[in-house]
This record gives sequence, structure tokens and C-alpha cells, in this order.
Amino acid sequence: MLYKKIFVNHWANLMPLFLVAMVYSCEENILPEEGSIEDLTLPEANFDFSESNNDYLTYSFSNLSSSATDFIWDFGDGNTSTENEPEHTFSQEGDFEVSLTASDKLGVESVQTKNISVKEPEGPVIFIPEILEAGFEAGTLEGGAGDGNDAWAIAGANNIGLSTSVVRTGDQAARIYMGAESVAYQELTVTPNADYRITLYYTLASAPAGGHIRLAVLGNTIEDASEAEDAIIASVLGDDQTSTFDYTKLTLLFNPGASDTVALWLDSNNIAEGRVDDIMIEHVE
Amino acid sequence: MVFIFTAISCSKDFLEPQPTSAVSEEGYFKTDEELESGILNMYDGIQGTNDRSTSSNHSIQYEFYVTEMRTDNTRGKGAVDSDADQAQFVNYNIRATNGIVADYYRSMYNIIYRANVVLDNLGVASDANRARFEGEAKFVRAYAYFNLVRLYGDVPLVDKVIAPLDTEISYTRIESSIIYDFIEEDLLSAVANLGDGYKNRASKAAAEALLAKVYLTIGEYSQAQTLCESIMKPARGFSLESNFKDVFYNEGNDEVIFAVGYEPDLIKDSQGFSSEWLNAVGYTAGVNYVTKEMRDAFDQYGGDRTLYSIRQDVIQPSEYQVAKYIPNGDENLGIAPIASDPRLAGNDWIVLRYADVLLMHVEAILAGAEATTSSNAIASFQEVRNRAGITTTVATITKEDLLNERRVELAFENQRFFDLLRLGEAQNVLSAYATENGYNFTSTTLLLPIPSSEINLSKGLLEQNPGY
Repeated sequence: MLYKKIFVNHWANLMPLFLVAMVYSCEENILPEEGSIEDLTLPEANFDFSESNNDYLTYSFSNLSSSATDFIWDFGDGNTSTENEPEHTFSQEGDFEVSLTASDKLGVESVQTKNISVKEPEGPVIFIPEILEAGFEAGTLEGGAGDGNDAWAIAGANNIGLSTSVVRTGDQAARIYMGAESVAYQELTVTPNADYRITLYYTLASAPAGGHIRLAVLGNTIEDASEAEDAIIASVLGDDQTSTFDYTKLTLLFNPGASDTVALWLDSNNIAEGRVDDIMIEHVE
Repeated sequence: MVFIFTAISCSKDFLEPQPTSAVSEEGYFKTDEELESGILNMYDGIQGTNDRSTSSNHSIQYEFYVTEMRTDNTRGKGAVDSDADQAQFVNYNIRATNGIVADYYRSMYNIIYRANVVLDNLGVASDANRARFEGEAKFVRAYAYFNLVRLYGDVPLVDKVIAPLDTEISYTRIESSIIYDFIEEDLLSAVANLGDGYKNRASKAAAEALLAKVYLTIGEYSQAQTLCESIMKPARGFSLESNFKDVFYNEGNDEVIFAVGYEPDLIKDSQGFSSEWLNAVGYTAGVNYVTKEMRDAFDQYGGDRTLYSIRQDVIQPSEYQVAKYIPNGDENLGIAPIASDPRLAGNDWIVLRYADVLLMHVEAILAGAEATTSSNAIASFQEVRNRAGITTTVATITKEDLLNERRVELAFENQRFFDLLRLGEAQNVLSAYATENGYNFTSTTLLLPIPSSEINLSKGLLEQNPGY
């Protein structure tokens, strides 16, 4: 047990007393000097660390030790410091065992060790979902299944039709036709808050006039087509009727916000015959 | 035997009769109106007392000392090496005996007590009002705990009205993660139980915004984002004031989500901080004065906000004052006096406003990363900057950009200290600032000491924070 001298008694320096003290010290215990009390506040090492703002190799250390006056930091990479709250730059990535030795003027030590994993932060990974039956081709689902519009169905509405005439690529395109009130719906997994662009190609017959198709993104999944209108977070109309046979590009930007699931939605105002083909999604930097 | 039985069965009334000639807390709450007075009593606690007594609870009227003055935004005008209570926050030599530290701690627990009184008496509420009473009390309790846990770390958790001898509860520090769970639970209940409408009282939006800040503090970014977006829906009716000045001088505007209301010239309902921030208009020579570092920040990022945020001290032209809560008017700025006695100021204290929510939205999308390019984040960020007349758009927002924007937008609103903590920059920024100015910063000063008076009362049960 260690003792802190709080009161200097000059008589204690007298030889007889000193000798007495010597006699007692032959036993295992070191007895207190006269007028001293037991040190009840022993050093306790503790620290925290945080990665620097601009440099992943640099860490600043905060000293949370108590009842200590001297500090030795060992950064686990061969470097040390005796500062109270040092900053240290590691030379490379790796796992480092950082220890802080806190001691007081009686030489009592306390050690705290923490592991720091120094690693270059990864840039955000943006997930690009795969759109199933993106070209409305048959046999493109798992195991060669699917007619070309099976991944686009939703309860409460007619599934979008298919056509082998006036196709942009491949053998089939989605068919929009007058009065059919058909829609296409497909759920996609996305990265929250990432910016995406949807692109598709469409064509509308030159008559009757006033026709359009609509491409929309729903902010959440729905169970029934009737819920679509309220869930739209972005939409665009395609109303180019200049040529029945030439496809026009239609793009739509969207950001899913906090959600990680959205849905694509495609419908029309059922006035003109039309086609949709080659839908794709990409991340916008 | 019969007699003894009778005595026991009515012992409570018999031994502790309710006084008939005076009002006591026990037995007071019998109706909705009486409970409503208990609700107002909570807000009274947040208001704090506008006097100079060291035994009063000054509550948020002293909050700038324990938050803003500990940052690079403001300082006192006095000597930097002073050991006065006020100066200790500036030079980071805060002592456990500091009276303001004890005042704030006491005030927050007093607010918690007032909320617990309401919650303990919810049984008398009518079915029509019970949910609202519960929501308001839980919002207020969570607000006080959120302040306590961020400033003092682990703190005692008092979730009911306790007696003075309940020392086990009063003096046991509970791990801050458990305090945060408690705050979250209270605020979720407040969100569910409250509607919008009030600005000087708790509302659904206030609970959502406060909870969003709690989630940002504990790293639950996605939940914070959802809450911000809920408040950002146009139907909720919140928007930025087009003129920055109106945020502070047109009270109850659409930007305010929750503000502590004050009434001018009434000793009981006015506030004293507005005058303390002027040159010897209050009782001090002037505190919460603007630092040189802060003026530089305004030069760089302030835009139109600068004019209504800082102004030159006409008496001491080398010094700059806060211009957001001027009590006695400023002709040049077109600000009318709010009180005839500036020491009895009526300027409301804004706790949560829409610009804060927009910037929290950015922070939620940033989600602890160094930068974001998300268009959602940029839209919210730009909305705040546009109002300040800074209309050049950015392609990327870094953590530093966000901190700078929050610093000038929410200057002197007691946000900076918590922003630095939340975004992990407190030690870096404040130690550099302290070195530059000859102050003695160590990371342990980021937590205030548990007041020594509390530790003494606890007979050693309460443990002190490291470094004190």
C-alpha cells in the first residue's frame, strides 16, 4: 500500500525515530510516515480518440485519466508521446494497440489500452438495381422464363401488353393501346439519397392527337394500382407524336430520399397507340 | 380490534389530512384546468427566473454561458485569465464550484420535476385531453434531459416525483446511452400524442425536430431524415422567413417550430439575457460578445445574415455584439424596442426553427460521411443559403461546409457547441481556437463538472467527471 505524505513532521527526521521506522520496514509492509494518510485517489488511465476530419491516418486523443500528472502514450507503431493530449499520424493503414500510461508523483501507474483500426474510408457505394424484362423480351427471367411483361404486373390494373411490331431492339416492345388502361409496375432496390436517372424509348402513333405516356417513380411499394397516384415522387410525360415508327428518348431524374425501395410506374392516357422499349437506370454523379 | 382496523384503513387521510385553507401539490390536481396549470408551470420552469439571485433557477437565460461562450463564437469582455464564474467558460478553466454550472443543472432537474408532477397526475385528465398533456410533459422532460446528457454526460434518471430522501435516484449517475433511450421513448410518445399549432408550447413538429436532433446525436441518421422530411412536407406549414431579420423580430412566424415565450416588462415572464449581451445595459459589463473568429466566419459565409447577427458596439467600437435579440431597439437596423426596461426583455428564445431542420436534413443524408453529392441534401442546403442571398449552388457538401453553414445561420442560438460535439469536431476546433487565444483547453472540459454542491449533498455517491 502506498502513502502520500501530507504533513511534514520535522521530529520525524530524528535518528531514533528513523531507526524505529527501519525496524518496522523489515516486515513486508511499508508503514506510513507520521502525519501521512493513505492515498485513496490512485491514478486511473482512460482516453478516447477520434479520426481527423481530412486525414484518415491522423487521430487526436483526448485524455480522460484521473488523479494522474504524467502521461506516456504508446501508439503501437513504435512512436510515443508524453503530451497530455497528443495528435498522431499513423504512417499506414492497420490495427494499432494504443496504450496510455498515467502516473502520479508517487510513481503509481495505471495503463489503458485501446485498439484503433486505421483504414481509409470507403467512398459511398451506390447500388444500381437490375430492371427485369427491361427490353420486354421473352425468356429473360430466371431460368429462361417470362413472356416479357411478367415482372411488370400489379393487382388492380391490366398488365401492359407486348408487341412484335415497331420494336426498337430485340423481338418485342411494350404495347400501349387505345382504351386498354394498362400499366407497368416494378419494384427496385436503391441506395437512399442517391441520384438516379431512368431512361426509356417510346413512340406514339401520330393520331389521334393528344396522346401521352407517363413514366413515374413511386417513393414506396404499393399493393394495388389505385395507390400509385399518391406515391409518385417523380414523373415525366412523353407526348411526341411526330412519327409513329421513330422512337423518342424519355428521361426521368429521381432521388429516393431515406427510402431504399422504390417502384417504376408506366401508364398512358389511352388515346394513342404506342410502344415502350429499353428501360434503363443509372446513377447520376 | 375494530378500532384498530378502522384506524389503519383511513390512516392516510387521518395522518396526512389535506389542508382545507391552502393549496398543496398533493390533492391539487383534480381537473383538466388544474392539470393545464401544471403544464404551464413546466414552461415557466424553462423560462427561468429573471433576477440575479444565486439561488434562483435561471434556466435557459443562463444557457449561453454553458454552451455558446464555450465555443469560438463568443467570449466575455473581461480579462481572459479571470477566475470569475463567467470567465471560466471562456478560458476553459471551469471549476466544479461554478455557480452557473450548478444553476443550469438545478434548473433542468427542476423542469424535469415539473414534468413529472404532470405525468404522475395524468389519471385525473379527461380522455379528450390526456394524450396532449402526456405529450407535452414528455416533450419537456426529454428536452431537459437532452440538454443535461449533452452537457454533463451520465446523469441521474428521475422519471417520477421523488422525495428529498430518495437519494438513490438523485445521486446515481445513469449511463448516457440509457438516458438517450429514455429521451427517445419520451419523444416518440410526444410525436404520437401531439398535434401542430403551438409555437410557445410543445407540438408534434417540435417533438419530431428534437427527436431528429437526438437521432443525429446518436448516429441514427435514417430515422432523423424521415423526421425532418415529415416536418418539411408543405402541408405542415413551416417555411423560411424571406427576410432573416423577421425570424427574430416577428415572433410566432412560420419558421419557428418551438420557442420559449417571454413577455416584456413583466418581472415574472421577461428574460435578462438580451440586456447582458449589451454594453453594461444588463448587470454585467457585457457577455457573449462576438469573437474575431466569428466575425471572420460571417465575412466568409454570412451573406445577408451578417447584418442581423452581429453589430458593432457603439460605445466600444473594437467590440461586436449579438444582433439577434436586441431588447431596446436599433434605429439603423429598423428594430423597435421590445421592452421599456431592456433588463425585462420580451424577445422569445428560439429553440427549434425550420432552417435548423433543413440543415439537420443535410446532416442526416451526410450520415457521418465526409461529403455528400445527394441532390436532396443540396436542395435543403441551398434553401437556407438562398435566403441569405448566397445563390451560387454547390455540387458537394462536406462536413466542414455544413458546420460553417450552421455556424452562421444558427449563430448565438446555443447550437455551435452541440454541433461541434455531434459532428466530432469539438476537440479539433476548440483546441486550435484555445491555443490561438491563450486559453487552456483539454478534452475533458467538453463535459461540464457535476456541481460540487450536488456531490457534497450526495455524500460522495455522485462521481465527478474526469478532469475536475
